[in-house]
Amino acid sequence: MGMRRRTTTDGGGMDGGGGGGGMGGMGGSCYIYPATPATPGLTNADVTFNLGIDMQIPLTMDDGNTINMWGFTDNGGNMGMDGGGMGGGGTFPSPAMRVTQGDIIHTNLNVGMMWVHTIHHHGIEPEYRSDGVGHLSHDVANGTYTYQWRPAHAGTYFYHCHTNTVLHAEMGMYGALIVDPPEGPGTLFSGGPRYDVEAFWVVDEIDSSWHTLPWDAGTCGGDVGLNELNPDYFVITGVDGSGDSAMNTPPISATVQRGQKLLARYICAGYHPQKIRFGGLTGKIYASDGRPLPKPVSVTEIRACSAERYDIIFEPTERGTYLIETDIIHWVTGDVLGTTRTSITVV
Amino acid sequence: MDRRNFLKFSSAGIASALLGSTGLLSWAPRAEAATISKTFYITEGFITQPDGVDVYFRGFSPSTNNLTVPGAQMIVQEGDTVRITIVNTLGTSHSFKIDGVVDSGRIYGGQTRTIEFQVNKAGTYMYYDARNAPYNRLVGLHGGFAVMPKGSSDEVYAGSPNFVQQYFWLFHDIDPVWHNSIRNRRTPGTTYSPRYFTINGLSGRPPGSAGSGDPAIDAMHDPLSALHGHIGDRTLLRVLNAGQCQQSVHTHGNHMDWLTDNGQIRDEIWSKDCIYLEGNMGKFDAIFPFAPPPDAHPPVTTGVYPMHLHTEMSQTAGGGLYMFGSLTDIFFE
Ligand SMILES: [Cu+2]
Ligand SMILES: [Cu+2]
Repeated sequence: MGMRRRTTTDGGGMDGGGGGGGMGGMGGSCYIYPATPATPGLTNADVTFNLGIDMQIPLTMDDGNTINMWGFTDNGGNMGMDGGGMGGGGTFPSPAMRVTQGDIIHTNLNVGMMWVHTIHHHGIEPEYRSDGVGHLSHDVANGTYTYQWRPAHAGTYFYHCHTNTVLHAEMGMYGALIVDPPEGPGTLFSGGPRYDVEAFWVVDEIDSSWHTLPWDAGTCGGDVGLNELNPDYFVITGVDGSGDSAMNTPPISATVQRGQKLLARYICAGYHPQKIRFGGLTGKIYASDGRPLPKPVSVTEIRACSAERYDIIFEPTERGTYLIETDIIHWVTGDVLGTTRTSITVV
Repeated sequence: MDRRNFLKFSSAGIASALLGSTGLLSWAPRAEAATISKTFYITEGFITQPDGVDVYFRGFSPSTNNLTVPGAQMIVQEGDTVRITIVNTLGTSHSFKIDGVVDSGRIYGGQTRTIEFQVNKAGTYMYYDARNAPYNRLVGLHGGFAVMPKGSSDEVYAGSPNFVQQYFWLFHDIDPVWHNSIRNRRTPGTTYSPRYFTINGLSGRPPGSAGSGDPAIDAMHDPLSALHGHIGDRTLLRVLNAGQCQQSVHTHGNHMDWLTDNGQIRDEIWSKDCIYLEGNMGKFDAIFPFAPPPDAHPPVTTGVYPMHLHTEMSQTAGGGLYMFGSLTDIFFE
């Protein structure tokens, strides 16, 4: 570990080899397509993110247990050593990206020699080689690749790794991605509602039995259990949500004054379906998956499937504390596996 | 029972059988109602999964010497009379049902039954064996069925947004232990644990793997599953779930226009990159617009993107093998 690694910031770099995929080349890994080619049509960016990898992110749960998470760091472009995965600096979830509609964005992903990863900006629809899907372009290994994109629609998105996705996204390799309209934060989309306060509800489940697997688990075959996600922890925006840890913890929880508008950006970041309930409040969905609804819809709860996003505006009129609970529901049985809790306090 | 008594099929035979029996891309409206006749043979056998394991299935097949899962896609139009003949080649009782349209009732082992019915409501349906529910459906006795609005070639329902081509995406999840119980005429007694996941009966074969690129094996290149279009080729997706798992259907490249949900026309059309698909015969219709990918810089009109279920457990086979599950590719040509 701690091996030397190239630091490139221009999007160029050496091919990692084995671009044809298949067996071999990376120890026990199969069907990965490592390369760091030049980005087609690369131009100057308005905003650049430099992301690295951290494969050792401890997450302590309410019961005192610590689980290992993986994630992206925001120091990928600056470290000569260790930024390829062992250098720390990672958080769960990964750092949020906040950009403005119409800006040209570069996401530089720097990956070391020990594993491969990609970034897929979920809901963003770029040129396919900036989409981060290994089997259709390449996975990033041993170098830096620049994903170039220009968001056309304001709204709520997230980004995540798309290598051995079933495992890597579950391990925590995701972060929020917010596209603001040209008006800036405070407006959901041009011509859409304004808001005064913002909350982020990124609800996910963790199966701790997956969290000792190597990055390429199962890729060459063999039963490593990735068809069964049996979660034992339930998190909201990186915090154990089963108890009180996410209560009074902005920007997960929110405090709003009567007459103010609260925007909740809800992301179903797990795999099992979810149902979120607003504790007696009625909200209005103005947008979903980064697109305005033709007509806003008033709701007291929402059912969501994996990777859906909902932008909900609350205009509470009564003082009080409202419990926001999200059930994580087994994809076959419909049983509630666990629930996360946070709160809206109206003063 | 000796497995040598069973037909054993690679998935290759399945896709070609499907291809031969569909009028999918060549649908043309008719001014007059017609009588559509079709014979299905209920057969059984084994299908080899991506990890090499042979799993028992039954299917609505085109001949006695064949196993086809799912059964052939059928597209008819409002007002048509449909005459289905079911030849039950097995020793067990089966049925042919389309919810709200027709139910053959019990067809004993060795029996042949012809049913005739008129279709009056445009939409996307599943035909399936409703006996011994849900087991006979799960073991493979299901297929996609569509009714076009009368005289229309480009609508899901009268007055719907238009499309220029249509596909079925029929998803399934498979627990081989359950299939084996059904084979042995026992009611499965174990907790359902799906190990294989398919789209139109096939699973993904990523580049570099055996069978990759073979349209008869690889769901990414199956002409019934992979979308091919030029800009403006608005593509209707008739999405059905024969399995038990609730899924999240996710496209890259474009959002989908979400038109119907479990047979109901939605009040408003939402533009979504993930759509909730319920288990146990959930369904929806959506249009993949083949619009230029909106966030590309510089702008592009070509490229290739995936469709995959975001319920990522469904992207595996046998507990590993990421990308050997329910996914396909979308080609902007
Ligand atoms: Cu990764
Ligand atoms: Cu995603």
